Amino acid sequence: MELNQYLGMFLEESREHLQTLNKCLLSLENDPRNLSVLDEIFRSAHTIKGMSATMGFTAIAELTHEMENVLDLLRKGQLKASPAIIDTLFKCLDTLEQSVESIASNSEATVDIKPLAAKLAKLAAGNGAEEPVPAAVEKKAAAPVSATSSGIVLNDTEIEVIRAANRQGYAAYEVQVALREGCLLKSARAYMVMNALDELGDVIKSVPPAEDLEKENFDHSFTVVALSDAEPEKVQHTLLAISEIETATVLPLAIPDAATSAAPVSQQAVAAVSAPEPAEKRRDAELPVARPEAPAAADAPAMADKKLRGGQSVRVDIEKLDTLLNLVGELVINKTRLEQIGLSHRLTDLTETIEQMDRVTTDLQAVVMKVRMVPVGQVFNRFPRMVRDLSRDLSKEVNLIIQGEETELDRTVIDEIGDPLVHLLRNAIDHGIESPAEREAKGKNPVGEIRLIARHEGNNVIIMVEDDGAGVNPEIVKQKALEKGMITQAEAEKMDAAEAVRLLFLPGFSTARVVTDVSGRGVGMDAVKTKIESLGGMVDVETKVNEGSRFKIRLPLTLAIIQALLVKVCEEIYAIPLGSIDSTINITPGDIKTIQNQEVILLRGQIIPIVRLGKVLGVSHAGNEDAEELYVVIVHMGDQKAGVIVDTLIGQQEIVIKSLGKLLASIKVLAGATILGDGRVALILDVGSLMQ
Amino acid sequence: MAESTYTDRETQLVIFKLGREDYGISILQVQEIKRIMDITRVPNSPDYIKGVINLRGSVLPVIDLKKRLRLPPADYTEDTRIIIVKVEEIVVGLIVDAVSEVTTLSSENIEPPNTVVGGVSAEYLSGVGKQDGNLLILLNLAAIVGVGAEAGKTG
Repeated sequence: MELNQYLGMFLEESREHLQTLNKCLLSLENDPRNLSVLDEIFRSAHTIKGMSATMGFTAIAELTHEMENVLDLLRKGQLKASPAIIDTLFKCLDTLEQSVESIASNSEATVDIKPLAAKLAKLAAGNGAEEPVPAAVEKKAAAPVSATSSGIVLNDTEIEVIRAANRQGYAAYEVQVALREGCLLKSARAYMVMNALDELGDVIKSVPPAEDLEKENFDHSFTVVALSDAEPEKVQHTLLAISEIETATVLPLAIPDAATSAAPVSQQAVAAVSAPEPAEKRRDAELPVARPEAPAAADAPAMADKKLRGGQSVRVDIEKLDTLLNLVGELVINKTRLEQIGLSHRLTDLTETIEQMDRVTTDLQAVVMKVRMVPVGQVFNRFPRMVRDLSRDLSKEVNLIIQGEETELDRTVIDEIGDPLVHLLRNAIDHGIESPAEREAKGKNPVGEIRLIARHEGNNVIIMVEDDGAGVNPEIVKQKALEKGMITQAEAEKMDAAEAVRLLFLPGFSTARVVTDVSGRGVGMDAVKTKIESLGGMVDVETKVNEGSRFKIRLPLTLAIIQALLVKVCEEIYAIPLGSIDSTINITPGDIKTIQNQEVILLRGQIIPIVRLGKVLGVSHAGNEDAEELYVVIVHMGDQKAGVIVDTLIGQQEIVIKSLGKLLASIKVLAGATILGDGRVALILDVGSLMQ
Repeated sequence: MAESTYTDRETQLVIFKLGREDYGISILQVQEIKRIMDITRVPNSPDYIKGVINLRGSVLPVIDLKKRLRLPPADYTEDTRIIIVKVEEIVVGLIVDAVSEVTTLSSENIEPPNTVVGGVSAEYLSGVGKQDGNLLILLNLAAIVGVGAEAGKTG
């Protein structure tokens, strides 16, 4: 079998499931009784097992298999999610991650899973029996399994789900569906039934399982347990409306309340006609052997999930999207050409058609841009685990709160933003949050809180890392900067607190760890700042001693499109990013003075050096030098300003930034290129190097 | 790398003209051939870089091949073409006087370059091909584009 073509998909899906596992294990750690999380963990582990077995990665399959055994016991309540077990599961996760990455990097090194597998097996066999948790025993005695009239066996989780649904006003129904004799496409009918039930509520179980239904592995009837807030008659009516359905019986399914759940009651409550013996038998069969049944049960919801996702999203290679974007750009350009032809030949029909086309292409462009947006949660997801591990290492207690994961950013930004955030979070845990004892002494909650927040703000995305830790003392930062000779005494005296704290971003602070002992934040902050700025963003910090700090990152929605001012120098058109433009002014040649051979102008009392763009770019000028009126674009970089003399201002426009490629990368004054409406290439000026 | 392109038993070459000489590059390196189009000058770039073009949405540098090989310049005509080539992941356009044909050459008809052929110094050459009594100057694109010049020489 040609497996290579599936490898990419396998890797990506495995990584996704590992993410889910990570997330779910964390929430299991916080709430060991949460069965729905356990189910999700089980499902992900099971999917990984299935995929890796198919791909021939036996080590991964084996390890996940052992994990499943333990998870299954947890799910049944026969094992308690103790820290030891959770730690082991986390280790499994790390090992799985390693294995997946070594597959990805095509390395020969195989990760040894034996010790972990053995540990898991021991947990599953030994510990489980040795120290059964009282709660679990109780539950087992109560009603791990419920049988319905037709012998559908519900496990604990499913009962729990039904109870939860009951509380929200949903009723559980047992729906028996019989298809007409000789019905063709049985699976399609079954699918329609499932769909109809899904629309009315939720399907939580089917006999035979959904997989068999899809493969037509069933006779003419099947039974489904569904939740719905509709009347049974309505459910029945809906189902009978599907063609080739012979009968549909909808029976309410009563589940004993959790409080009163004792074995006899549950037996009573489940529909009357239940033949106790087969039900008993099933139970016996299910409990000790458990495994063969469990994956099937886990499959049903997984399938439902897949169906849902399949309808909503498609995985696309980012390169294909880039190509798509380029093609759309090309389309727009050709449309502009057609427009010009239409105009010069006065073809009214053509012009009208092009107007239509114009609307379509504009929409198309917007859609393609939107497709490239990815929720920032993709990056955020990896942090809870990191925070957990790090706070453990440092014996601190930290509660990480994540908000706004759904905020969307361009894929290119998403890929880059991870590292700076790791840095900020590490800093917050390492230097920000105090030890529990210290916190208590300060009268704070011993558990520190770190918030990671993303949100939109106009054309920007804001990401904040907040902690309620020790904060940064501006005086100490100032002192350190003075000692290091980064600022002078006079400068230090002039600085206010906010400015002083910003010294943290200076390169000098990062190399020395000295600041750590004064709860500083120096390590690598300049790297964070550089990275964010290279993404066209900004980072700032607010802090209060003993109350905490907030690092605020402002990022553009996308790197690919910026607002720019198009200017003309002779016949050449250049783009200046609007972000670095202050204003545009008109001057006369007489306004230009010289200071030490440097041309300057005076603008509102400020001396601003002049850059003649034509000269910098080597454009041969014909007489424009003596123009009576000169256009000056005032640009800024940090606190520095300069006036750039151009021939004509064309106007403001959204431009798509294109790279100039490796061959031309070394040309300083240029930051890239863009394609204009008429298909010509215009170069984007790099304001920073223009000013040097 | 470039040399090995010509050492297979048979090589398909795209033949083009610069002045009066015939030049060849491996067809495997050619992506497409375009008529001359709008070229945007790039300030402060090497003189042989004519500028950049828009090829279906991507911006590509264009090399004036005659200038690069230090051959006498000529005006563009109806026949002038831009050959889009890919050399070690870099895609660039080469301006040539005319593209004449695609031909197949067997390896025994290719000889290593002498020091100078047709006024082009050896660093830009990867060999000389013989075909029906005509000489074909085979170019070392890596050296011309200015990447992997070493790799281009050592093969």
